[in-house]
Amino acid sequence: MDRVKAFQIGIIFVIAIIVARLFYWQFVARGALSANSSSQEIIIPASRGEILTSDHFPIVTNQEAFLIYAKPREVEDSTQIAQKLAPLLVLEKYATKEASLTENDQKQKEDDIKSKEKELIDKLINKNLLWVQLARKAAKDVRSNIQNLKGLGFENDKTRFYPEASMGAHFLGFVASNKFGDDTGYFGLEGYYDSQLKGQPGRLGLDKDPYGFPILVSKYRTINTKDGDSLTLTIDRTIQFIVEEKLRQAVEKYGAKGGTVIISDPKSGHILAMATYPSYQPSLFSEFDEKLYKNPAIADTYEPGSTFKLVTMAAALDTKSVEPTTRCDICSGPRRIGGFEISTWNKKYYQNSTMTEVIQHSDNIGMTFVSEKLGLDKFYEYIDKFGFGKKTEIDLQEETSGTVREKAQWREIDLATASFGQGLAVTPIQMIQAVQVIANQGKLVSPRIVDKVVQNGKEKEIKPAFFRQVITSKTAAQITEMMVNAVEYGEAKAFAPKDYRIAGKTGTAQIPVAGHYDPNKTIASFVGFAPANDPKFVMLVRFNEPTSSPFGSETAAPTFFAIAKDVFNYLAIRPQ
Amino acid sequence: MQQYDFKSKKISNFTFGGKIGLRILVGISVLVFSLVFAQLVSANNLALGGQKLSQIDDAIAKLEQENNNLNVEIAKVESLTNLSNKAQNMGFVKPSKVNVF
Repeated sequence: MDRVKAFQIGIIFVIAIIVARLFYWQFVARGALSANSSSQEIIIPASRGEILTSDHFPIVTNQEAFLIYAKPREVEDSTQIAQKLAPLLVLEKYATKEASLTENDQKQKEDDIKSKEKELIDKLINKNLLWVQLARKAAKDVRSNIQNLKGLGFENDKTRFYPEASMGAHFLGFVASNKFGDDTGYFGLEGYYDSQLKGQPGRLGLDKDPYGFPILVSKYRTINTKDGDSLTLTIDRTIQFIVEEKLRQAVEKYGAKGGTVIISDPKSGHILAMATYPSYQPSLFSEFDEKLYKNPAIADTYEPGSTFKLVTMAAALDTKSVEPTTRCDICSGPRRIGGFEISTWNKKYYQNSTMTEVIQHSDNIGMTFVSEKLGLDKFYEYIDKFGFGKKTEIDLQEETSGTVREKAQWREIDLATASFGQGLAVTPIQMIQAVQVIANQGKLVSPRIVDKVVQNGKEKEIKPAFFRQVITSKTAAQITEMMVNAVEYGEAKAFAPKDYRIAGKTGTAQIPVAGHYDPNKTIASFVGFAPANDPKFVMLVRFNEPTSSPFGSETAAPTFFAIAKDVFNYLAIRPQ
Repeated sequence: MQQYDFKSKKISNFTFGGKIGLRILVGISVLVFSLVFAQLVSANNLALGGQKLSQIDDAIAKLEQENNNLNVEIAKVESLTNLSNKAQNMGFVKPSKVNVF
């Protein structure tokens, strides 16, 4: 055979081998290969945004966690796994009070562990299942304790972490799974900003070889992940800490059902602190009564009582219906209006008292005098201008608008009682917004709790929802002096710090129950700002049903002053 | 084109393109095999590249997770709740009077 023919035969032989091999890989071995390698679309989860206080401390962040699953057919000893895993999953609930567990708590803990063990065993013994989820968002140390057990597997997960524990729980809200198993924010900031915080998951479409490595020659189809936006709050972490500590102590001291404190900057509307006690832990929200989830600072309505006298008086001064020196010539005793008797809180009456003295004495009769001078139309107009009866638009979920009845429904008695804060319902945040007007030279700035939204490393400032002039700066100055006078000479004067000019007003409101007022229960409050000449903060303290004393002057006022002292030191505000 | 048959020692009229045709055939074959060889080398490099990419992705994910874990630890240490407890345990007390100058 000559060389040419040999060469030809050689080429044909090599080609034949290549074709045969190609045929094998593409047709014969195709089934086996596609089981291990194929086009895949991988969903890359987005990281939920953080929530930072004004000092950029992450009050809510994300922590490494794991989804624990089991392959029941590979599990050898279900009881061993259940006994090892159950305590680890239950312990977090008791971790914060581990050192002080009562006998009942101890028994409850043991019952919870036994119940969890049974639940796990039920899942593990079902050999019909290929895969079963045992726990979600388990901590890293849970995994390290059980990772050598046969039949268990782990997938990366993330969980919300709160370095300050329950601080700010009511305005933060919490994250839970919705009905599709996706993390969703509920209440507070997590609820209000949920769509921005959760971001958008990415998608990665690629081909992988049997070893799991990507085949780069094929298309590498990606949709980039968009991590959630982060929020920088107006909340001052130190002031929040001071407030929560003092509030808890005060609620316990005065035997109240609960209490709320809000502190804000009157010029910017920034909320510096917002706290309610009792509170809950967002990381263990399911262990707490769901009635605690709602934020009373924005969702609870109450009759404001004497603190509302500031609004009535400001309206009357602004319309020149009265002057600070106008004298009340009907203040010598109780009055009958529309078939009802109006009296003062302490049954003391001051004939010919000035408007300043009416505020100082918190005189209900004096306020009926003011409201009659003002008239229903003007009074109603100013109630609206101060923002009552509608939301403040603060950036938190579940805000309510309070209740102010339609003007046409008001009778003579309603004008009288509304002048001293009964017969209408407000929220604590509305009261803060209203007093901010007085502290801010008559200008209303709507409150907000998020200062900036951080998106892809860029900060976007959040502006107030609205801004308007409600009363003149002169009226604001007049009412401020009345409030300073009330602190220095009113019923709370014994508790006020002597070195500082504080403007404030007490409030003691009865609680309406089934068409009448409960004779024993009150909402005790104090609202004010300091320093009076150049206010750095506005504060509201409110207690539900204090039992040691029903009066705001003896419960809310001392708490206000105690918090104010610490805030003066923290903000380095010099005595005046 | 005529061809000399060495076996029969006769001049044959059968043509296969002759010398030039043979050269063309050899040339094309060399080219094809070179391209096939280059394709094999390229595919091998891509496979190795895929492996490297996967390793890099894993390393990035691991570093990001470690970074996140460290941030969490820092936050725990810096929390006011933690600092307040530590201060109490160390015997610190709140001042009874503070002067602001």
